[in-house]
Amino acid sequence: MDEYDELFEVQDDFDEQFADELEVLAELEEESFKPKRSARGPADDISDIEHLLHDQPITPKAKRQKQDASVAKRLFNTSQTQQSKAPAHGDDITPPSSPEQYEPSHTFRAASAVLDISGFAAIPETPSRPDTAAPASLCVLKRPPLEGEFISVTDSSGRRVYLRQKDASTRVAESRIVPNSYGSLGLLAVPIGELKEQAAEKRHQQVVEESERLTKLLASSVNDAFVEAETREDKENEDPEDAEALASRLWVDRFSPRHYTELLSDDFTNRCLLKWLKLWDTVVFGKERKSRPFRSDRQASNQSSFKPNQGNQNQNRFKSKIEVTEELLEAELDQYKRPRFKVALLSGPPGLGKTTLAHVIAKHAGYNVVEINASDDRSAEVFQKRIDTATQMKSVLGANERPNCLIIDEIDGAPAAAINILLAVLNRKDGHGAEAAAETAKKKKKKEAILLRPIICICNDLYAPALRPLRQQAFLLTFPQTQTSRLAQRLAEISLRQGMKADTGTLTSLCEKTDNDIRSCINTLQFLYSRGHKQLDTKTLQSVSVGQKDQNKGLFHLWQEIFQLPRTKRKRVGEGFEEVPGSGGGAQRFQHILHLASSSGEYEKVSQGLYDNFLSMRIRDPSLMSVCDALDWLSFSDRLHQVILHGQNFSLMKYLPFLSVTFHFLFAHTHVPRISYPHSQHEAASRLLGSKNALATMLSDIPACIRTRISQHILSLDILTLLLDIICPKLRPVNPQLFSSKEKEQMRELIDTMLAYNLSYRQDRTPEGQYTYVLEPRVEEVVRFSGLPPRRQLTYQAKQTISREMAQERMRRAEQLMLQRNPAKQEEKKSSGPKAPMNHQQRLENIVKQTIVESRPEVDFFGRAVAPKPQRAQASSDTGEKCVVLAMGTAVGNSDVWFRFNEGMSNAVRRSVYIRELL
Amino acid sequence: MSLWVDKYRPTSLGKLDYHKDQAAQLKNLVQCGDFPHLLVYGPSGAGKKTRIMCLLRELYGAGVEKLRIEHQTIVSPSKKKIEINTIASNYHLEVNPSDAGNQDCVVIQEMIKTVAQSQQIQSSTQKDFKVVLLTEVDRLTKEAQHALRRTMEKYMATCRLILCSTSTSKVIGPIRSRCLAIRIPLPSTEEVCTVLTSVCKKEGLLLPPELAKQISEKSGRNLRKALLMCEACRVQQYPFSVDQDVPETDWEVYLRETANAIVSLQSPQRLLEVRARLYELLTHCIPPDVIMKVLVRELLSNCDGQLKTEVAHMAAYYEHRLQLGNKAIYHLEAFTAKFMAMYKKFMEDGLDAMMF
Repeated sequence: MDEYDELFEVQDDFDEQFADELEVLAELEEESFKPKRSARGPADDISDIEHLLHDQPITPKAKRQKQDASVAKRLFNTSQTQQSKAPAHGDDITPPSSPEQYEPSHTFRAASAVLDISGFAAIPETPSRPDTAAPASLCVLKRPPLEGEFISVTDSSGRRVYLRQKDASTRVAESRIVPNSYGSLGLLAVPIGELKEQAAEKRHQQVVEESERLTKLLASSVNDAFVEAETREDKENEDPEDAEALASRLWVDRFSPRHYTELLSDDFTNRCLLKWLKLWDTVVFGKERKSRPFRSDRQASNQSSFKPNQGNQNQNRFKSKIEVTEELLEAELDQYKRPRFKVALLSGPPGLGKTTLAHVIAKHAGYNVVEINASDDRSAEVFQKRIDTATQMKSVLGANERPNCLIIDEIDGAPAAAINILLAVLNRKDGHGAEAAAETAKKKKKKEAILLRPIICICNDLYAPALRPLRQQAFLLTFPQTQTSRLAQRLAEISLRQGMKADTGTLTSLCEKTDNDIRSCINTLQFLYSRGHKQLDTKTLQSVSVGQKDQNKGLFHLWQEIFQLPRTKRKRVGEGFEEVPGSGGGAQRFQHILHLASSSGEYEKVSQGLYDNFLSMRIRDPSLMSVCDALDWLSFSDRLHQVILHGQNFSLMKYLPFLSVTFHFLFAHTHVPRISYPHSQHEAASRLLGSKNALATMLSDIPACIRTRISQHILSLDILTLLLDIICPKLRPVNPQLFSSKEKEQMRELIDTMLAYNLSYRQDRTPEGQYTYVLEPRVEEVVRFSGLPPRRQLTYQAKQTISREMAQERMRRAEQLMLQRNPAKQEEKKSSGPKAPMNHQQRLENIVKQTIVESRPEVDFFGRAVAPKPQRAQASSDTGEKCVVLAMGTAVGNSDVWFRFNEGMSNAVRRSVYIRELL
Repeated sequence: MSLWVDKYRPTSLGKLDYHKDQAAQLKNLVQCGDFPHLLVYGPSGAGKKTRIMCLLRELYGAGVEKLRIEHQTIVSPSKKKIEINTIASNYHLEVNPSDAGNQDCVVIQEMIKTVAQSQQIQSSTQKDFKVVLLTEVDRLTKEAQHALRRTMEKYMATCRLILCSTSTSKVIGPIRSRCLAIRIPLPSTEEVCTVLTSVCKKEGLLLPPELAKQISEKSGRNLRKALLMCEACRVQQYPFSVDQDVPETDWEVYLRETANAIVSLQSPQRLLEVRARLYELLTHCIPPDVIMKVLVRELLSNCDGQLKTEVAHMAAYYEHRLQLGNKAIYHLEAFTAKFMAMYKKFMEDGLDAMMF
């Protein structure tokens, strides 16, 4: 079968095997351990996955194989005919056989290629199974084909079928014609001569490469013929293109898992991610999701029949964990048939195989992987472009016609802007939800389409600040540590294949040393191997300093290490000698803490944590000497900080981690310490800021003559406490009008003081619904300490009185100020007025001239009698316009009230009213 | 203007109540209409600002008292905007450069220099120099002080500086040498009593001499505080009684309680409690050096003679570190712990001596 056919088969098999599950899978699983597996297409992989999906949680690999075998046996009866794939195809023979059997598959392909992203509704359903019969492999027909030779066969039940006869040459031609359309009539797409040439060239190249490699090998690795033999073996095992880069390749790449079952990471995590990815099948591949109850039934039966040895308690133990993720995964698809979480976020320390897992799973689920990582430019625009390209487009040319799956690696290093863009892409549907179905025309106008492809994000630090918004919308998967036994087993496999001798104990200790970091383990192995160590033992491992990462363990871990003595029984690898309890451990503990502290880097935070926690440790220190020492060290490091920051003398920074070491030797204890996060300094700083702000508010409006005498410090140290006492005099709880003159004087002074110092009472409502008056600005909190006897407070009524009086006083003062300025204006009016009489006066003149002046008592707007104003009269008489004034008479000229007929205007009546008249 | 402190503040050099010799000297100083740069220093509440304002009034007349507040915005070379309030009359300008925090250097370089450079317009009617009054000079950073040096010399013709600070120890030598230093000491207890009595008389109140003495002692001869206390007493109770309790500032009471807590028990747990109290004080805008000073005073009153010298020594040591460092709480607590250790040892030794 050539590549082209296989491709179709992939799609079809995928459909089929998704429908009929375990039977075939079990077989394939068995097959998959034959060396032949690498030659098989991805279809098989998918089947494996399907199988695993229904498998129960974490089971060691070896065990599962056995079970699978039993599965196969049991199912053998039911699926006798499905011995291999070919008969399976042969079973569904299609009645409408015709020469154009290619047609249906062609249409299917077209459909998938066109796969419209903007409107999913427009996508046709996947053609049903019988229509998409496997193309070339299907040569069993029920009716004799119209053209070509055939052989008729009758089976046991008497049915007659026709087998089409084909010769090899036509097949080659047929398949060649499609991809490269030239050479249409020739039997071969490429002339035979050319092919020959190519073959010769290839051979030559291989020879050259081989010789090159051999010389390289001879140069680099010194001795054994063993190596050569081994590499030759390797070469036979690997594909030819693998072999060519063999010498230069890292083992990490060479032995990286290419198959789901080879993954070392935690089974549960793997399965969760796979399930999540499978949820996308509906929208990406257009497959209907299987109904849940059916599957669970199946699962249950599988469990009961296949796993009798699996303990019940074991199941229970994982039940909750499963339930949680099941819940997440079984959640209903949204209106576009996408899963609820559009993004999976994998997190965990480096070297656990996160990236590998994502790649392998995406590949197995039938996606084409597009990766964005930290090495790419991740500025906002570029990121947007890349996301759009990856999720909305699809390669049309070439063999890679699978839908894309975007993997964003190392996302914790991306700028916040980029992550916001990602979020925007995720949430695109929200606005257009309703219209999407209705208006397709409008859709074309919109350049932004909804997300229809899965995105997998990978990060080390899940709690990076930039990721905060993403965390809420992502399907979170945290990677647990790789199991040491599994990792050691893999290492053993690798070393065996490389001809390195290493016992399991040594490998386990290597795993421990690197904290189960797969990458680092394999790298160390390769490093040792290339240095000529063919025999690996614990001694050599200990002498090597590689594999120890400069790792950042988190502050709490650091604090814990500082305050806790290491348990003496535990034998640590890679820290030199065996621990001698007591004296010998000192130097080593010193180094250990120093290393941890200096690698953490956040000295400020570390020292704060130490400061906040050291007093609550169990200190056997009756004379307080160690506490004194610790505080001396703290103040020393504070000084050091000051010098570093002030003089930018960063070379002194190397002395900072010693603080942690001191604390370790002073306060370390075998008990597990209870450590709380240091809040105190931050809290104090924010409260200090609050007080300062209150004082600044108060100072800002104090008049200049007082302002010059006081500063913030004087205010907080001397004045404020006493001032607050002074403004709380004893007042008789009566109406202020009934105050005696002395009391009135007191009140006036009080209000003067409060105004001078910019204090006032503001009515406020407590949460309980009571009204209170609070002093504004809030300086009370600045000077009052909790725990001291409370000062005398004014009653609500007194405060109310004061508040009202203050408001009146303020208005009085404001008016005074206005009056001080106004005289100048009035002067102006008087000087300018007579020269150009105002409008109303002109109008009134005319009116007055015609009407008879009635002598009525002058009454203002409020009905009060208005006393004539002599000055005014004088002023106007001074100007020498007596005739006009006289003519206007007493009715208008001297009055402050003017009436003007002005429809619809509220300013028809004007009257200047002074505050002093109202109060 | 109704607090007694403000109401009865003397406005001319002749009306000052105490340090009259010094007042006469100041009067002579400005007699000729000119004076050198001044560095006025002395503890808080001694009357520095009062004397400076009197001096200015003597020099320029009543126009100095017409003050206005100006908000100024300065742009630092790093394009950072600094807002600062100044108080100015037509003749002088008052700035507190430490309001700008670490950027005070910019204030000195930009603002003071601009003011100092500009000539007076009508030199015939006015004095031919302006006065710039810098307050809280001891809180200036070293950079700012160095920036001030050249300005002081270069623009001597158009500008006089009056620096006001509580102590000279934080003023760098070059600046001290360019100024005429005037120390304003605290008034004596009797002087405080006299002032209090005269103020009460003006208010029409009768202050018993015992109470006056008590107030002046409680205030630590800080006249501002004494007057405020007196007024608070008046609000609390009038007519005055001799054994009336005088209101104190809260933080001092709180600090006294803290000192008592330290003396009564010495253990890590107690140290934790003390830490919380110290934090409380710091967040109430009490400067750490003041805390240290008052704490030591309170602790010393609880110590025996032999221990006193040691405690004073340790206090000086930690106070110095406090000035050098940044996080006051570490140093305050270090001092507290040290005191605890010393005190505990002292008490145990004393007990041993008693036993044998």
